[in-house]
Amino acid sequence: MPQESADKGLAAADKYYRDYGSKARELKGQGRKIIGYLCAFVPAEVITAAGFVPFRIKGDVNEPITKADTEMETIICPLVRSCFDMALKGSYEFLDGLVVPHACDSICRTYDIWKYTLNLPYSHFINMPHGTDDASLDFHQEVLNTFRASLSKFAGKEISDQALAQAIKLYNQNRAKVRELYELRKASPPLISGEELTKVLIAAMSLPVAESIEMLGDVIAEVKGRGGIAAQKPARIMVIGAQVDDIAFIKLIEDSDAWVVADDLCPGAREFLSSVDVTADPMAGLAERYLRKIKCGRTYREMKGNYEEYLEDRFGHMGRMIDDFAVDGVVLYIYKYCDPYGFEVPQIKSYIEAKGTPVLYLEDEYSMSTIGRLRTRIQAFLELLGSK
Amino acid sequence: MTEEKKPEERKKRRTATEAASRIGPMVKAMVGEVMQAKEEKKPIAYSFICCCYDEIIRAMDIVPHWVENYAGICGAKRDAQRFLERAEAENFSRSLCTYALCGLGFDAWREELGEMPPESPWGGQVRPTMMLGSGQMLCDPRNKWFQAAQHYMPDIPVYDLGLPWPPYESDYDYRQVQDYYVKYIVEELKGLVQFLEKHTGKKMDWERLNQLVELTDKTWNLIWETYELRRAVPSPMGTGDAMNTMVPIVFMMGTQQAYDFFQDLNKELKQKIANKEGEVPDEKYRLLWGGGLPAWFALGDFNYFNSKGAVFPVETTYRMIEAIYNFDMDLTKVTDPLEHIAWRWVKFWTYWHDRARKRPGSHPDVERLIKYFEDYKIDGIVMHEAFSCRSWHPGLIWQLNLLKKVYRDIPSLVLESDIVDISSYNEADTRARIDAFIDTLEAVKR
Repeated sequence: MPQESADKGLAAADKYYRDYGSKARELKGQGRKIIGYLCAFVPAEVITAAGFVPFRIKGDVNEPITKADTEMETIICPLVRSCFDMALKGSYEFLDGLVVPHACDSICRTYDIWKYTLNLPYSHFINMPHGTDDASLDFHQEVLNTFRASLSKFAGKEISDQALAQAIKLYNQNRAKVRELYELRKASPPLISGEELTKVLIAAMSLPVAESIEMLGDVIAEVKGRGGIAAQKPARIMVIGAQVDDIAFIKLIEDSDAWVVADDLCPGAREFLSSVDVTADPMAGLAERYLRKIKCGRTYREMKGNYEEYLEDRFGHMGRMIDDFAVDGVVLYIYKYCDPYGFEVPQIKSYIEAKGTPVLYLEDEYSMSTIGRLRTRIQAFLELLGSK
Repeated sequence: MTEEKKPEERKKRRTATEAASRIGPMVKAMVGEVMQAKEEKKPIAYSFICCCYDEIIRAMDIVPHWVENYAGICGAKRDAQRFLERAEAENFSRSLCTYALCGLGFDAWREELGEMPPESPWGGQVRPTMMLGSGQMLCDPRNKWFQAAQHYMPDIPVYDLGLPWPPYESDYDYRQVQDYYVKYIVEELKGLVQFLEKHTGKKMDWERLNQLVELTDKTWNLIWETYELRRAVPSPMGTGDAMNTMVPIVFMMGTQQAYDFFQDLNKELKQKIANKEGEVPDEKYRLLWGGGLPAWFALGDFNYFNSKGAVFPVETTYRMIEAIYNFDMDLTKVTDPLEHIAWRWVKFWTYWHDRARKRPGSHPDVERLIKYFEDYKIDGIVMHEAFSCRSWHPGLIWQLNLLKKVYRDIPSLVLESDIVDISSYNEADTRARIDAFIDTLEAVKR
């Protein structure tokens, strides 16, 4: 295969997935500054507009957590511990800065540990509120303005409205590409497997947005052009959880004779399906999108109407996805010590089951060591679906 | 079967002060008041500590039911396991906050039965009129717990109060952002008042609120002055007692009872100091409880420390006050009660920032440890890591590491168990670790 095609589409995604951070390392070598960040709540648009390369920090399920334990308690979410462990082990030695949002306790309460231990030239905490009412939105815009000012200071130049508008446009294009990719999952069998799609989205987290758009475009063209994938499998599965930044779990499901066709995950539908509105003050659009449009368990949505309407407001997007993607069963995949999602399990489970879709709830530890146990549970669940 | 489990017998912890020994009956009376309020059909609010709304709910005659307190009572009575197991059966992970699990397990069970679960500690946890959560950096359960509880009580309304405080950052001072923090908190407090008025059908008595805010300021000052008395050698009161005297601080703020309690404690400590009466007869080691909530089922460990001649003159846990007159602004000039509450909140959480700025590489949490270390003539630091709580417990190891880096190497011990879940606790192992720590302190003293 010529080198050119090997670096395009799914092959490029595979490359960037396997050697996560290689592009950032390369850009660092070219003199660019790399700003690492955790979670979906950091507006990467601001980092891009400042002229830096945003880089999403991920963990590694294959790497036992060792070094992190010298600074960070084991009561923290294992994904966050793994991310920190990778950073301490030098996987992200190219970082010039770190941005951490007030996402969940495990992320928020370890910001100082990250900041003081890595001691990078730049660090910033985005203190986003939990609420989504108008006062919370105004506050969040102020918080993002503080971030903008702080990053401007580090950049030594103003982050202009024009640069922000341009970055927002690019990120919206990126999200539109992901939405297009998701459409390809609706076919039966899906035109792209869950494993492939997960790999593409993870790879995209490590790329500058323009390159991500290009890669996604190539992937879409390639997937459409190859005329479908393997044979029909008996079940179409949706996975709901926090951040799944490895293909291991998705692959496990697909190796068990099912397709993963939908999700409410990061990276995934949760963070890619909503765009930033174009607003006179670009920070207003960013505040609105990151606070109100990303439906994550960490954000408190005020109750409007009765309880059923409240559940619809919080979980209706999951229900719609189940219908749109013809999902047969849902796997609720939650990490141990995950407060935002751990508290939602009974509500999500009963909401989805009430709509007639079976749910398997799995608690995991972000480690390959649990794969055997998970396989048994997945297979039993798929058998149950098959018998219906 | 969870229903058949009986609590283990427990020994009562020995207190050093008479005031601390009065707390048990006070808490029991407090729980009783909620029961009575239920009978009298008064509005009852599930409430959290450290949420700024103490004076507001009291000014509106809403009776708080402190959910963390009730879980702590179940833990202290060693009768939490059946509620934790019930929560687990509901698909809540056992790795979540065990206060919340205990409360949710209790609620699920009570709602299923239509009455209190059998032999509920101190009569049980009543069905509330409303639930008052908060969104803040302190912990996620503050905005997730009550939302989850609505699964069992869908008709009970929740208000979630945004309560941020400025983080400690290298490139800007909190004073640059404090105005918009206060503005937001005031808006959220106004929203709370509207919510309470809607659900009680009663209007806020603003004059009364003003009086309670003033009383709270006065109480904060008195508590600070009282706790500072513990600097004395020998120290008249330890952290074991402070885990009792936290009750008026976090559950009774904005009441005359809290103020009167600390007046009594203040007098008692002064008398003990005059008599040179310490917590233990022969004080050998002075320790700082440097972080972490206590294992409520194992408060007797404080007596075990005492038996080795070790006392805790100071703790960071539940010392949720500062002297108002030490703030960098004159809070008495903020006459609007909601603004006053908001400024007090922001000033409390940023209180140690300026000290941290003065020491390169330091951090407010570490500066607090250093100040207490010096002021209270401390020999060593003890912390407790509760596995289920990600509010106070992340960062304890890092704080000790940073303390060593920016200040000095201080003997330290990090105990491990939980706040409520007794299955995490091993008494023999804990006491062996305390013994070893005492040996270290002795070696350092020599």
